Amino acid sequence: MMKYGMHRMIGKKKTLRRWVVGGLAALACVGMLAGCGGSRSGNPDVLKVGVTNFADTLEPTENYFAWVVMRYGIGEALAKFDKEMKPVPWLAKEWSVSKDHMTWTFIIDEKATFSNGKPVTAEAVKASIERVFAKSNRANTFFTYDTIQADGQTLTIHTTTPVPNMPGLLADPLFLIVDVQAEKDGRNFAKEGPIATGPYRVVSFSRDKAVVEANPNYWQGKVPFKTIEIPSIDDPNTRAMALQSGEVDMAVNIGPGELPMFKENSAYKVHEIDSLRVVVARLNQRGIFKDPNVRAALISATDRKSYADVLLKGTFSPGKAPIPPSLDFGFNELTDPNSYNPERAKQLLAEAGWKDTDGDGILDKDGKPLHADFVIYNSRAELPIFAEGVQADARKVGMDISIKTVDYNLIDKIGIDGDYDLLISNIVTANTGDPQMFLKWYWGTNINGSNPQNGSGYSNPTYDAKLAEMAASFDPTKRRRLAIELQQILLDDSAALFLGYPKTNIVNAGYLDNVEMFPSDYYWITSDIAYRK
Amino acid sequence: MVVRIGKRLVQLLITLLGVTFITFSLTYMAPGDPVAMLLETGDTIISQDVVEQTRHELGLDRPFLVQYGSWLGHALTGDLGMSYSAKKPVVDKMAEAFPGTLLLATTSIVLMLLIAIPAGVMAAVYCNRWLDYILRAVSFIGISMPTFWLGLVLLYVFGYKLGMAPIATATVSLANVMLPAITMAFTLASKYMRQVRLVVLEEMNKEYVIGARARGMTERAILWRHIFPNACLPLITILGLSFGWLLGGVAVVEMVFAWPGLGKMAVQAITMRDYPLLQGFVLWAALAYMSINMLIDVSYSLLDPRLRKGGHS
Repeated sequence: MMKYGMHRMIGKKKTLRRWVVGGLAALACVGMLAGCGGSRSGNPDVLKVGVTNFADTLEPTENYFAWVVMRYGIGEALAKFDKEMKPVPWLAKEWSVSKDHMTWTFIIDEKATFSNGKPVTAEAVKASIERVFAKSNRANTFFTYDTIQADGQTLTIHTTTPVPNMPGLLADPLFLIVDVQAEKDGRNFAKEGPIATGPYRVVSFSRDKAVVEANPNYWQGKVPFKTIEIPSIDDPNTRAMALQSGEVDMAVNIGPGELPMFKENSAYKVHEIDSLRVVVARLNQRGIFKDPNVRAALISATDRKSYADVLLKGTFSPGKAPIPPSLDFGFNELTDPNSYNPERAKQLLAEAGWKDTDGDGILDKDGKPLHADFVIYNSRAELPIFAEGVQADARKVGMDISIKTVDYNLIDKIGIDGDYDLLISNIVTANTGDPQMFLKWYWGTNINGSNPQNGSGYSNPTYDAKLAEMAASFDPTKRRRLAIELQQILLDDSAALFLGYPKTNIVNAGYLDNVEMFPSDYYWITSDIAYRK
Repeated sequence: MVVRIGKRLVQLLITLLGVTFITFSLTYMAPGDPVAMLLETGDTIISQDVVEQTRHELGLDRPFLVQYGSWLGHALTGDLGMSYSAKKPVVDKMAEAFPGTLLLATTSIVLMLLIAIPAGVMAAVYCNRWLDYILRAVSFIGISMPTFWLGLVLLYVFGYKLGMAPIATATVSLANVMLPAITMAFTLASKYMRQVRLVVLEEMNKEYVIGARARGMTERAILWRHIFPNACLPLITILGLSFGWLLGGVAVVEMVFAWPGLGKMAVQAITMRDYPLLQGFVLWAALAYMSINMLIDVSYSLLDPRLRKGGHS
């Protein structure tokens, strides 16, 4: 019955032809519709920048949304970080500090204006800083103040405790300067964006796309682009493709897979810099790594250059010390006693009494194999790669390492409890340009939770004494020297395995000039970026 | 009919209550701390005091049942709370993402129907002939292909190589929706085409088709006036469920195309452990899915005269 019916239908070849033609026509329509949206950047007044954005509003005191306000060229602070993370003048043209480091005086640049044309006076800056303290519970973690006084262009901050690095603290995007009066007059900073002092001001903003336009009142001169469109493109492949197709003129953080392609193509410029982060394997000093020789052997066994250059395709710099080379804390002056040397690693283990008595390739002592658990999480793609590299290298010198993957959110507790042999971490070292807190929290002797992140049990009285000396010192040169000495102690003690420093990048089309990359990651869009003339 | 709808509404409410409770419990039990995620966003070392203070501000230091009760109480008044990560009302956040999802869902379904119905009917009509084999092979490939990969290939070909479509405009418009919708439509159509083929084949074997032929009706008339309307009924169920599913957002495609929709929003909510936003999303997804399911049930009796008159098929 079915065959009969079908037979008759199959006979209708004309019908089939019509179907095929109809289908092709439909596809063509779809193609044409899709074609309607095709666009190529090239309008000299418009810049397009592909980013990843985490902010839902532009209220600078909420979460870390101020980063976005600064990255998009909307907001500026009293100071900014230079390429070595040293604070340099921005809205404040100079500053000074009293001998007791409790009174900081900033002179606000008299040329500075908000995007609504109003001058940036010390009074306006005072209101802006007070607003931050009123709205954000993070403000108190930077410093606490008794009074803030404003007189003309002179701003004086009296702090409750000595503050060695106030310009660095006020360079944090949280303290970008906004016109508080504009908010009182009815402007909704969250929805419309703040009135600030940057080269661009907000036209529209959503998490997925921002549009900013030139600030006609910009205090540092004419702004090169009339409009900047900033789509948030989360998928790294798509972001790279948008740059290749010319749909965006520059893109932030191109993935390791695509970066070489842009490096090899002269039509693009790649700006790459070590970030402020370090990937470190913390070593628990109580278990198998109690013996400094075993710690030193593990560190010597790891070929960190290969991890960075080969396994991670150059998106990391090889690790050596706690503080990355992007910061001026003596990276090149430090000597790593445990630089890559597998033969030395073997020798150290032999000296510590480890031998392979049962011939299984794993050393043992007193009937126990040389085994360690390496706790990692994999929400950062590079961490398992580092861990596997360490595992393979350790095996070559007779050390057996098991990788245990846990959820990122458990890492903090494991770190505090010291429930590991090795624990991977990706840590920021100096977001305000100063590494004191980082060096203290992770390696200062932990007495009743005084340095909670130091669950490794590492303790060295000399190290603690130098930390105390650093806390009491306000001379930048001396603080730098102390930071170098502290790092050298950690290296000499084989306190941890510093695996590498992630690089961040911006890639732009060759026709753009003056795109710059900073380790602090706060300055993407600046008034300097322009089409090449 | 009214009683039936009433019963379904009660069922819907009970299910929604269960869904929200389970989601709340799971997010509560799952490892992860929204406070840690919020503070991790920035490259800052944060003291325990700030962590505790933030936890208190978000009400996360209260017992589980108190938190759920409070959320439910507010939800009943239409207030789904504040998103932790977005710092804006969940309803506003979802309202922002909804137009994107609605446009993507509608366009995908329309394109899917344009592909699947002709292809499915042709495959049935030319059953076990070369055209059927080709269509089945294409649908097999469509089902097997991961959507993100297909999306990237389409972006590469139409966006990058041919420059016909925008790659990542991150704005909702009919022109921008085409590539993500084609990606979704192709995957959906690959499954749907097989269903169409199956039900049309089934109908073609029924006696009324022979009767129609005996009365001298043309094959085209039999196919479109008799076979196809009868085949539509089971297809509507699948169509409705697909639409309900699409209204919950399609995370993978939305991420690849930087398309601002509910799926992308949900992924971000999960990453950030943004409980209120996640709850709001799950509530919406369950509501959309079940409401459409209910509408389909009701529409059966309207579409099928046999059911409407209480007759038997």
